[in-house]
Amino acid sequence: MEYFIQQLINGITLGGVYALVALGYTMVYGIIQLINFAHGEFFAAGGYMGVILISWLAAQGVPPTICLVLSLGLTMGYCALLATAVEQVAYRPLRQSSRLSVLLSALGMSIFLQNGLMLTQGVYDRAYPTEITRGGLHFGMVTFSYMQILIVAVTAILLVGLNALVFRTRIGKAMRATAQDKTMSALVGINSGRIISLTFAVGAGLAAAAGIMVGLYYGSVRYDMGFVPGIKAFAAAVLGGIGNITGAMLGGFIIGMVEIMAAGYISSEYKDVFAFIILIAVLYFMPTGIMGENVDDTRV
Amino acid sequence: MRQMKSTLLALALLCSALLFAAGCSDNKPKEAPKAAEAPKTEAPAPAAAPAAAADVLKVGTLSPLTGPYAADGNDIANGARAAVEVIKDQGGIPGFKDIVVQAEDSNCDPRQAVAAANKLINEKVPVVVGAYCSSATIPASEVLAEAKIVMITPASTNEKVTERGLKYMFRTCGRDDDQSKAAISFIKNQLKVDTVFIVDDKTTYSQGLADNLEKLAGAQGVKVLGHEHVNQGDKDFSAVLTQVKAANPAVFYVSLQNSASGALMFIQAKRMGITAKLLAQDAVYHPQLMEIAKADAEGAFLTFGYTDKETPAYKAFYAKYQPKYGEPGAYSTYAYDSAMAYLMAVKAAGSTDPDKVRAALLSLEFQGASKKIDYLENGDSGSNYIIQMVKDGKFTNYWNPETGTLY
Amino acid sequence: MTTLGSRRHWTGFAIGLVWFFFILWPLMGIKPGGLEFIPALLVWARIAAAALFIFVLWLLRQQGALGFLERPAARLGAAVSGAARVVPRTAWIAAVLAASMTLPLFAERYALDVAINVLVYVCLGLGLNVVVGMAGLLDLGYIAFYGVGAYTYALLSVHFGLSFWLCLPLAAGLAAVAGCIIGYPTLRMRGDYLAIVTLGFGEIVRIVLNNWMSLTNGPNGILGIKPPTLPWLQDGLWGVLELRALGGLYYVILGLAAFTVLAVYRLNHSRIGRAFEAVREDETAAQLMGVNTFAIKLLAYAMGAIFGGLAGAFFAARMRFVSPESFTFMESAMVLAMVVLGGMGSIPGVILGALALIALPEVFRGFELYRMLVFGGVMAVMMIINPRGLWPAKRVGQRSEERGHG
Repeated sequence: MEYFIQQLINGITLGGVYALVALGYTMVYGIIQLINFAHGEFFAAGGYMGVILISWLAAQGVPPTICLVLSLGLTMGYCALLATAVEQVAYRPLRQSSRLSVLLSALGMSIFLQNGLMLTQGVYDRAYPTEITRGGLHFGMVTFSYMQILIVAVTAILLVGLNALVFRTRIGKAMRATAQDKTMSALVGINSGRIISLTFAVGAGLAAAAGIMVGLYYGSVRYDMGFVPGIKAFAAAVLGGIGNITGAMLGGFIIGMVEIMAAGYISSEYKDVFAFIILIAVLYFMPTGIMGENVDDTRV
Repeated sequence: MRQMKSTLLALALLCSALLFAAGCSDNKPKEAPKAAEAPKTEAPAPAAAPAAAADVLKVGTLSPLTGPYAADGNDIANGARAAVEVIKDQGGIPGFKDIVVQAEDSNCDPRQAVAAANKLINEKVPVVVGAYCSSATIPASEVLAEAKIVMITPASTNEKVTERGLKYMFRTCGRDDDQSKAAISFIKNQLKVDTVFIVDDKTTYSQGLADNLEKLAGAQGVKVLGHEHVNQGDKDFSAVLTQVKAANPAVFYVSLQNSASGALMFIQAKRMGITAKLLAQDAVYHPQLMEIAKADAEGAFLTFGYTDKETPAYKAFYAKYQPKYGEPGAYSTYAYDSAMAYLMAVKAAGSTDPDKVRAALLSLEFQGASKKIDYLENGDSGSNYIIQMVKDGKFTNYWNPETGTLY
Repeated sequence: MTTLGSRRHWTGFAIGLVWFFFILWPLMGIKPGGLEFIPALLVWARIAAAALFIFVLWLLRQQGALGFLERPAARLGAAVSGAARVVPRTAWIAAVLAASMTLPLFAERYALDVAINVLVYVCLGLGLNVVVGMAGLLDLGYIAFYGVGAYTYALLSVHFGLSFWLCLPLAAGLAAVAGCIIGYPTLRMRGDYLAIVTLGFGEIVRIVLNNWMSLTNGPNGILGIKPPTLPWLQDGLWGVLELRALGGLYYVILGLAAFTVLAVYRLNHSRIGRAFEAVREDETAAQLMGVNTFAIKLLAYAMGAIFGGLAGAFFAARMRFVSPESFTFMESAMVLAMVVLGGMGSIPGVILGALALIALPEVFRGFELYRMLVFGGVMAVMMIINPRGLWPAKRVGQRSEERGHG
């Protein structure tokens, strides 16, 4: 039983990370139907920016808590800036082209950004100052580390915040309108270009937060760290029904949980196989994901 | 909107300009110089080459300069560069005007490794130091063997590398089977415990080592409580570590291909409250282990080829290497010795003829930066695995399996 | 100068540069020890100067100031393409064929090696082109078939000593079966759902190859695969063995690639090819017109897989070693990139795409560490400049929404 609870906690933590990354995928997809391959790179850039800022602020004598909050905010801002630039350069000129052209441009940007990170930050892992978040709560055999608590808490806050942004504000309304029909929303005076940029910015900000959390939790970041979580989060977004925000959260937690449980109870080497089989099985019975609406007949 | 459009144009231009500038800029950003010395050290090559091509001795290296193993790959290229510089400082090799290093990227991918090997053949290099991943070394060595090029691997420890009867294949590092012998001997004879939990990350190298250990453990009466696998690139090991915790072994054997992954494993193991002794192998050996894992790496044991840091050879290496490329990694010394052995053999043989060089290499015996090097008929140079311990953030010699004594 | 570009352009340019600085500087300038501006500024200044150069060039071009250069170039281009049209297509094909046939006679070893790689990827690209370009099914796990083909030959060669030529159809057949297995559950899905499921399948195949120790020897891969044998090559002429070996391999893959080109070309103009196109353009309408979309989609996967399997078998024979590391998602993405970059559905386009994507990283080897950076950037820039690909396929008709947009 203790073993199960421990794995449950592990699953929730990993799921939270996936959910945060998956949200960016799903938001971008929802609004311009693009699988943003470069999204994983925003996650990695966030991880790096986080460690850069945390070490700098810590060196200036800023107390740890403020340091953490401040770097989280700044990093999210930085990644928003980066994502908007990528959107302007690589995606906007292709808005009228076939979706595969944009997909490829995204792939190119992903390779470009990853190597840009490698050149500026080096090929070695960069260590996070993990001292801030050592320790945890022990209940018998079960360990709930402070970092896990922090991840779950930050994820929850960001998810609530995002929900408020999308469903309670005018900007959110504009986003939803643009996602539904670009031409119509433009007709009622929504600057769709700006809304799309904003969506990229928000998505990248969430990925950046996930990057910092991952850096703090696991202790290091590396230039190619965006790739694997990127694919998993993409799977999570699709599982939940791509374009659907609640679905992405759900998908993230499901993928995280399946992975941990498969590794814990069946076989750690085949854990990704189980994650993908669950994905395929769900999509076989629900071809548009768990919470997805019926997409119209769109070609690739 | 129009404003946006022009911004976008500017950014698009910028992007292409960046490409342009990146190509010709030699101003390397912060961390890059370590890895990016290549263009600088090679700069004289094109100038010298046309004048007297035959007089330039080219030392090829083949290692993953990009990708997940770039850290070790760059150590290998830099190690070879350091060796060339040392030889040049000593007056070079008679008959050769210049010695240059030609570093190629294998990306740890068999296809690219073979392409790079063919490129090196084209460049008429007589020797290749590399490769890193056994899965790249093996196919590349087949190609190089056909062209009669000497290949000296500083890092591929898989037994198959030298067991295919290739005449010009040499190995400066140790072998997997010897390393696991040292590990099991340590568990049984020094720690005197009888349970172990093994985790590897499914590479030719890491799994080979783990499997060997499992076999030996069975024979030696050490109980293997579990043997689990993780994937390369994983960051989250919590599921496996929960299993380790539940099994409660005396020793937790970590066989990963990458030191950073090893560090993450250590951090998470400590966080999970695992009290087993940590034992790892030489791919986890890298200064970044302590840099990342910090206090969590304290007390961890590693099997690693014994390096006497007091020998003049090591000091010469360190004096050349450290100022330019930073602290040496796990394979820097092996790459240095590989290149050194070759250059010394060429000096002795008086030519780069592969058969003469082979004979010279076989009769060579010298104290390298990593260990005493004496190549055997099959190309191996013997192993020198000992147990090291992380103490106060440094790797320190701990136990010698040969003598069974503490240092 | 007063007429060079409007204020709008220049403000946009300036904003872009400032923006770029704010992206670059934090990565390079914030150190625990303090803030540094010099290194970031140096890099930035170089890039800004280069950007300014290109920007001015672009503005000049917009104003037609470069006409003195462009007009002759355009005239030359028109003259060449006019001449090209005069020469019959068969002559072009013959010329390309002759050039590729004689390549080993004058190419160096390295060039030949790259040429072999290009041809392998031509097979892969054309195979994927059947699935993506013709039938419109996005497949991100295509490399799985390549892997199936490679392991089929590897295992049959090592365990049973079967010859390469016998294994070739077997590999193709098994790959086709794998194609059907992967195709079946995806038949109900569309667009991007298909993408992730095929990606998942590709990963599953790789992970199984990596973990099924008793069959595939896991990450250690399979060693000792025999190269293809040609009876007429063994007749006495072993003098320059190595070169011959690579040259021989080159002709084998050239034959395979030629077969693939021919097969895909014929397929394109067959009833099945038309059915693929119908499914791609509008599945519901195709069904209404009596196309069995279920069978057609499965067929598309199987057909595509066959070429992947062939290429895989050759890959195993050529490397004489296979390991799961060769069949990662990045490889799938690369093959897809070839198809899209070259121009979807277009045979010469895909060939061009394969040439570009395999040869470019080799050309960029000179950039050392910047190799992949440049590669990624060029890929994005090429797409932006030419979204329909290098050599787009000629399409009959237009879809309604293509006309509607704009």
